[in-house]
Amino acid sequence: MTVVDVVTAVLLLTGALSCLLGALGLVRFPDVPSRLQAATKPQTLGLLLILVGTAIRLEFESAATLLLVVLFQIFTAPVISQIVGRSAYRAGTLRSDELVVDELADPMARDDLRAAGTPVADVAVADVAVADVAVADVPADDVPGPAPRPDGEGPS
Amino acid sequence: MRRRLTQLFWLTVVWVLLWGTLSPATIVGGVIVAGIVTWLFPLPPMRDHVPLRPLRLLALAGYMAVDMFRSAAGVAWEAVWHGPRARAGIVAVPLLSGSARAVALIAGAVTLSPGSYVLQIDRGRGTFWVYALGMRGEGDVERVRRAMLLMQRKVIAAVGTAGELADCDRGIAAAGTEKTP
Repeated sequence: MTVVDVVTAVLLLTGALSCLLGALGLVRFPDVPSRLQAATKPQTLGLLLILVGTAIRLEFESAATLLLVVLFQIFTAPVISQIVGRSAYRAGTLRSDELVVDELADPMARDDLRAAGTPVADVAVADVAVADVAVADVPADDVPGPAPRPDGEGPS
Repeated sequence: MRRRLTQLFWLTVVWVLLWGTLSPATIVGGVIVAGIVTWLFPLPPMRDHVPLRPLRLLALAGYMAVDMFRSAAGVAWEAVWHGPRARAGIVAVPLLSGSARAVALIAGAVTLSPGSYVLQIDRGRGTFWVYALGMRGEGDVERVRRAMLLMQRKVIAAVGTAGELADCDRGIAAAGTEKTP
């Protein structure tokens, strides 16, 4: 039993354990976003560990392809998770009684009102301290109403 | 033009890695495919020069790797111990960079870490909202916010300009001192 064997065994077993715990979370968590966390993240980590564990046993040609899989997994997993999670929030499948705090509910409701053409009190717009960001390069469709004024007075 | 060439180069490298053999045929094929891809899907023009700091990029990768393990352990603990009683929260975090690339990288980094993902980004308000699993009470709100600010600091240190980094530090200082009601 060489060092490589031990490293591979540790990587593969840790990866498998991570996937198992993710599956457990998928069964046990209460709503869509938390299940999404269990379904995507530990699986990503588990897959990475298993692929790395496999790659160190292979010759370079095959290992390179596996590393490519790792790379694409890292790039694509957040995008999927983000899109599904956001849809879950907008569709209302997120159980609000599960949330300790929801600081998005107010701003989003206000955005919806403004998108529907209802005038909204201007004071309410900048409710979180606005950093020195370039407001000018925001795409027009991101700001449906009057441009937010960067004069926030701290989070509400 | 130089950007098109680097893009062409990296796409070719991906293609060659995909085939797993370094032969003239795969290289020529890769260049052709990369040319078609860059022609069909041109990237939007970049207005500003973005510095790349390899060491800090490496530090960021290391931090994210450690963070992945730590957060995966946290999610696993939630799953095993709390299960159906798991609680989460949505926290507003000030966005400390205006550059599209930094924002994209920040969102990716946050979402890659187990237990949290970005729900909404509002660059006009300079705020993004993060869903975080495993929150228990009000104290966790600040903990999550601080962790997100730290992550942003690391990303901007890796791909931001010196001015952006200074802005980021000012933003962190402001967020650290202000009292949340």
